[in-house]
Amino acid sequence: MRIVVTVKLVPDLNAEKRIDPTTKRLVRTGMETVLNPYDEYALEAALQLKAKQGDDTTVTLLSMASESLKETLRKALAMGADDAVVLSDDALAGSDVAMTSAALAQALKKIGFDLVICGGLADDGSTGGVPGAIAEHLGLPGLTNARHLEIVGGTIKAQRETDSGYQAVTCPLPALVSVTMAVGEPRYASLKGIMGAKKKTIATLSGSDIGFENRAPKTELLSFAPPPARTKARIVEASDGATGARAIFDFLRERKLV
Amino acid sequence: MQNVIAVVEHRKGQTRKVTYELATEARALADRLGGKAHAVVLGGEAGALAESLKAYPLDVVHVAEDPDIDAYLLDPTIDYLEAAARAIGPSIVLVPNTMYGRDVASRLCARLDAGLAADVTGFEVENGRVACVAPKLGGVTITTCAFRNCEYGVVTVRPNSFTAQPGGGGASVEMLAKPAGKSYAMKIESEVEEASSELGLEEAPVVVSGGRGLGGPEPFETLLKPLADALGGAVGASRAAADAGWVPYSLQIGQTGKTVSPKLYIAVGISGAIQHKVGMRSAGTIVAVNKDATAPIAEFSDLVVAGDAFAIIPELTKLVETAKV
Ligand SMILES: Cc1cc2nc3c(=O)[nH]c(=O)nc-3n(C[C@H](O)[C@H](O)[C@H](O)COP(=O)(O)OP(=O)(O)OC[C@H]3O[C@@H](n4cnc5c(N)ncnc54)[C@H](O)[C@@H]3O)c2cc1C
Ligand SMILES: Nc1ncnc2c1ncn2[C@@H]1O[C@H](COP(=O)(O)O)[C@@H](O)[C@H]1O
Repeated sequence: MRIVVTVKLVPDLNAEKRIDPTTKRLVRTGMETVLNPYDEYALEAALQLKAKQGDDTTVTLLSMASESLKETLRKALAMGADDAVVLSDDALAGSDVAMTSAALAQALKKIGFDLVICGGLADDGSTGGVPGAIAEHLGLPGLTNARHLEIVGGTIKAQRETDSGYQAVTCPLPALVSVTMAVGEPRYASLKGIMGAKKKTIATLSGSDIGFENRAPKTELLSFAPPPARTKARIVEASDGATGARAIFDFLRERKLV
Repeated sequence: MQNVIAVVEHRKGQTRKVTYELATEARALADRLGGKAHAVVLGGEAGALAESLKAYPLDVVHVAEDPDIDAYLLDPTIDYLEAAARAIGPSIVLVPNTMYGRDVASRLCARLDAGLAADVTGFEVENGRVACVAPKLGGVTITTCAFRNCEYGVVTVRPNSFTAQPGGGGASVEMLAKPAGKSYAMKIESEVEEASSELGLEEAPVVVSGGRGLGGPEPFETLLKPLADALGGAVGASRAAADAGWVPYSLQIGQTGKTVSPKLYIAVGISGAIQHKVGMRSAGTIVAVNKDATAPIAEFSDLVVAGDAFAIIPELTKLVETAKV
């Protein structure tokens, strides 16, 4: 079975994130780039399935990103993915959800898969729009927010998180699944994994390799501005519970919140 | 894109406050565009809920109660929404930015060949073109984005961004026809309730949130829940608390968790690491209770009370309860 995990490469959480006023794109250079944290959970879910399914199951990473960032995927290879594909093309820069999902869908067709696993949300764009849109482009079942996955005879049995609990959902393969963090803490790469990752393949595909050309995004960033500044906090030292409670209560009164 | 369609999230006819926020904003936006305001309600008890939506200023409420909608995950929902949107014509589709809404938006934007604007808190209309205002990158920038090259625009709207206002009324209720020739693959075998969710965290007007400083799972129930109840809000948590297993991940606010912007956010025993900050810094008023007045959370709070949460919170709960009666 071939599992493909989609992985976005994003600026580290602590990086000073800003949008370039000319290109209206997120600045992605001059800072540390990491695997989108959510996608480490997607990979963890894939590796758990691989362990259960046996050795003929492979886990391939797919990322759409500038080629200059592709070595970031080495960490995911060290965690246990078998190989990686980067979809890189300057014509893809500035993609929105519509264009990203269409391009990734096209790349998935080229790579081939039985199961696609995505993260729930990317740290930078944070729309959560890509996974379902890929499923739609490929006409696949899109089973979102899975926290537990099992494959029994070509059928996925999943527990799918809801706001108040979970649903037990079944669906046939091939399918696309997105996971929640409850699938389990992403594993650390072992020393052997790190050494092995150096020899694994990161293949590059361009837009023309997958027949994806002359596309334009469907959204356009018109402008951006910093949020209104918050005034400096009022600080109250509370020696006992009553003083602290009174300070908060009076403050809430002042702001008409109680 | 002249018309506006509000997608209604509900469970067995029980809906969330954000539904009425969307219904109200659908009208306001449709008026600015010179179009009609529609709502779509799907699934069991949709008809009864549609009746209650008549109290809001909509033109048409579209309804389907087909049992497939609740028996199968998402696919029938998307088929009905697509059919409704195509019948209505080029439009802005509003969905709540919740787990359900993100699923719907993600599928529907591809189905309708539409653009997606995410986590939107306001609209601007100029020459008939809609621009969507949204806080992004964990609240460090407010973006304004518009649609292009598409007939439909799908928008996930952040709960608490618009005020629900009944009035107008007189919407007609129309039944949607069953989409022909469809079969569905993702079967919902059973549904298990693990926590009550009268109020989704994302739309609670007040969030009382706990972190590492609470030391374990019990204080979330014994300390925070009573205060949240008294304030009419919900309990949340920092990543540290969720990672420690004190609360389910569904309560986690911040990176890889939920983004909230309630009127009031009370952070109890939360240091304010960036993982947490990105999920709550857009809250209206932020109050921090922390042993340490120099914790990072002080940098983006309105009030910091340095003291013992275990002594302060019960007293505060009493004050709030007394003030209410
Ligand atoms: C500040 C900001 C705001 C934005 N707002 C919008 C907006 O409102 N509407 C819009 O259409 N676009 C928006 N974008 C563009 C958006 O970030 C890109 O389209 C991006 O490629 C996909 O969206 P996402 O980051 O929201 O991913 P999400 O949909 O949040 O990601 C979910 C999952 O999809 C997979 N995935 C996503 N991107 C990739 C990738 N490049 N390679 C491999 N897997 C991937 C991963 O598994 C990931 O966990 C915004 C970008 C920025 C920087
Ligand atoms: N040169 C590139 N090749 C492929 N994808 C890219 C490239 N540059 C940016 N992207 C992707 O396009 C989307 C939007 O990126 P950006 O415009 O840089 O915010 C993200 O998913 C990026 O990973």
